[in-house]
Amino acid sequence: MIKSPLDCFFPQIKLQFQKNSAIKKQNFEVLWGLTLYLIQVAFFRCEESGDTGCKWDLFFSLGDMAASKTTNNSNLIWNFFCSVNLTIFLLIILAITSIVGTVIPQQDSAVEFAQRLNPGFFRLFSFLQLFDMYHSIWFRILIGLLALNLIVCSIDRFPAIWKLFKTSPRPDRSKPFENIPPDWSFSVKGNIKDTSTPLHELLDGQFKKIKSKETDKGLYFYGEKGRYSYFGFYLVHLSILFIILGGILGSFFGFEAYVNIPEGDYVNSVRLRAGGAPVKLGFEIRCEKFFVEFYKDGTPKEYRSDITILADGKEALKGNLTVNNPITFRGITFYQSSYGTIPGNKARIGISRQGPNPSDVSITMELRKPVPLPGNDGNIHLADFRPDFMRLGPAVLLVVRPPEGEEKKLWIFRDHDSIRERFPEIFEKFPGLNPAAFEPYFFSLDQMESKNYTGLQVNKDPGVSFIWIGCFMMIVGFFIAFFQSHRGIFVRAQPTKKGIRISVAGRSNKNPVGLERELDKLSQKLRNLFMT
Amino acid sequence: MVNTVILSYITFVYFVSFFFYLLMMVIGKSTLGRIATYVTLGGFVVHAFAIILRWIESYDLGIGHAPLSNLYESLIFFAWTIILLYLLIEWRTKNKSIGAIATLLAFGAMAYGSYSPTISSRIQPLVPALQSNWLLAHVITSFFGYAAFALAFGLSLMYLIKRLDNPEKQNMFLNLIPRLSILDDLTYQMVVIGFLLLALGIITGAVWAHSAWGSYWTWDPKETWSLITWLVYAALLHARMMRGWRGKRLAIFSIAGFLCVMFTYFGVNYLPGLHSYAQS
Repeated sequence: MIKSPLDCFFPQIKLQFQKNSAIKKQNFEVLWGLTLYLIQVAFFRCEESGDTGCKWDLFFSLGDMAASKTTNNSNLIWNFFCSVNLTIFLLIILAITSIVGTVIPQQDSAVEFAQRLNPGFFRLFSFLQLFDMYHSIWFRILIGLLALNLIVCSIDRFPAIWKLFKTSPRPDRSKPFENIPPDWSFSVKGNIKDTSTPLHELLDGQFKKIKSKETDKGLYFYGEKGRYSYFGFYLVHLSILFIILGGILGSFFGFEAYVNIPEGDYVNSVRLRAGGAPVKLGFEIRCEKFFVEFYKDGTPKEYRSDITILADGKEALKGNLTVNNPITFRGITFYQSSYGTIPGNKARIGISRQGPNPSDVSITMELRKPVPLPGNDGNIHLADFRPDFMRLGPAVLLVVRPPEGEEKKLWIFRDHDSIRERFPEIFEKFPGLNPAAFEPYFFSLDQMESKNYTGLQVNKDPGVSFIWIGCFMMIVGFFIAFFQSHRGIFVRAQPTKKGIRISVAGRSNKNPVGLERELDKLSQKLRNLFMT
Repeated sequence: MVNTVILSYITFVYFVSFFFYLLMMVIGKSTLGRIATYVTLGGFVVHAFAIILRWIESYDLGIGHAPLSNLYESLIFFAWTIILLYLLIEWRTKNKSIGAIATLLAFGAMAYGSYSPTISSRIQPLVPALQSNWLLAHVITSFFGYAAFALAFGLSLMYLIKRLDNPEKQNMFLNLIPRLSILDDLTYQMVVIGFLLLALGIITGAVWAHSAWGSYWTWDPKETWSLITWLVYAALLHARMMRGWRGKRLAIFSIAGFLCVMFTYFGVNYLPGLHSYAQS
């Protein structure tokens, strides 16, 4: 007889430990033992042990739901999927496998990690889709199995729950009144005929489905509440399906993209995070201005983009985008995500001429617009702007066209002096970096215009409303399932020699202490009703 | 700052109450237990006062926000929720036996927050992503959930200790621990409360992430670990409700669950992600 899966497999694991303690295989053995154990939990019944039927309680307590399993379907696959052991197995397997993705870098950040792996592991990890495991086939299959398990279990148990929901006891039962505490029973003077209406009125306010019956033994009442609580767990399980459905809808019909918009510029398409061709928005979004504000200690306080959306040639929406306050237009939502600067298309270039006719000027130049050199030595133009060239800071590519001879290309750095301090010979060694390479001139980059750009996360997710509905259902379902119980209340008025004896009794599918409190209150109310 | 000084003293108040709860267990005098309760209650009230004071001080600094925004503040709040839940249990059950574990956990959290050199107790301004009302809802629900799991863990430990009980040996220490069935039931109830609150914590976090980053779920390590914790407890609840698991197996399950909670709270800081406090 299997006593408990734990007892069954723990010795085995221990044994394997002893055998292989010196070998590295150990970890594998433990994993294997654990897997065997989980399979056993999933596919074999384990003996129920421990003390059951504890009536002690703090806030609430549940009855044993295991009793509600009734249908005896002979279909093997059906039986496999309606097993709670499978549920436990899948939950634990999902939990264990999820750990992998928190240890191995995922998606974009996986590249660096993958490069350091040896080829064998790399192939194995790629085969198992471990670099994006939460979107891998096997992980999705596991979630699918859980959903299937949940659906089959729900269908399987439905008839039993429905029966519980539908059946209602006869009010004239005497069994509930056996062994009731003395507090719940008292005698009053009077005629039994006069008790019927006040009893009805009292119960009507508090309970539903009031039934009464008059027999020669006395007057019987039955009322109840919380019948719907049988469906609390259904609501919770349905909510899980909603959330899974929301996730599926999002991944099929939604997208995650981003876009950088320089101030004053606009875009009409965005780039998918997953890569591929840009997605057309069908409207234009313009960034009027980007602001970043800091606290005194330098911590960022607010990122804000003033944006305008233009649709069909008209201004459709104007607003401020901040972190935590996204803007949605035609089902596409824009989130403030990052910012940065890009070079503009203007720069101030200092030109000094040494030798017989020295001159020193500083002129503002636009990209690709030639400017004559002061001494009629041809012209110059700017061919490229770099915010950070060769990790030496901002630089421009200056092209000099002398009247005769070949043109010269020079990279001019803004931080010329500090670079010379760090690398004393650099400008002499590389003529392409030397600002004095075109004699007798010396060029300097005095200022480079830069523009802010705002980085927006752009998402479309038609599944998101299903997610929120699911979350809401889950919480409501939990409250119903855990804190509501189906309580039936019996009240009996019996004629005695001196008058009438009134007793209360009840039953509940869970939370016996709560029921006791309710019956205490009810008997007190009845006492107040008849004794005054 | 005044609040951090008060809070560092509270650490020792909880240590004193731990000492009295322990003494009560060993000696078996109810007077000691009563002293322990009063000390804990006193510490709890001053603790709450210090948290409010910290809140006010943040406004005086011009960066006003609820004190729930960094590791230090979360540890202080965690200790507070543990004590609050424990006092509720003590009041409802009139049993002080898990007091020692609850106050020890609270002491540990407070001491780690107040005296670890790596944790800054400064009031820091909120970066844009944290400026959301969901922050409050998310942190409060999550930490009450954690606290409930912490108490379930304490109860499970008690269960395993109580199992050593031998009716022939009149061991005072073990006599004071409630019956096994009571411990088992209380553990289960704490797990249910924690499970519900953790679900709320995950949901409020998802709503917040959706408005801040555009995606309700990104498989960030903290998110994933909270889901792992939730799955483990979901398995526990199914095992108990549908398969009738009780006693030792459930106690071990709940201890394993709490280890997941602890990893979600602390371990994740060593993994990269949005929640890592390491950068702050």
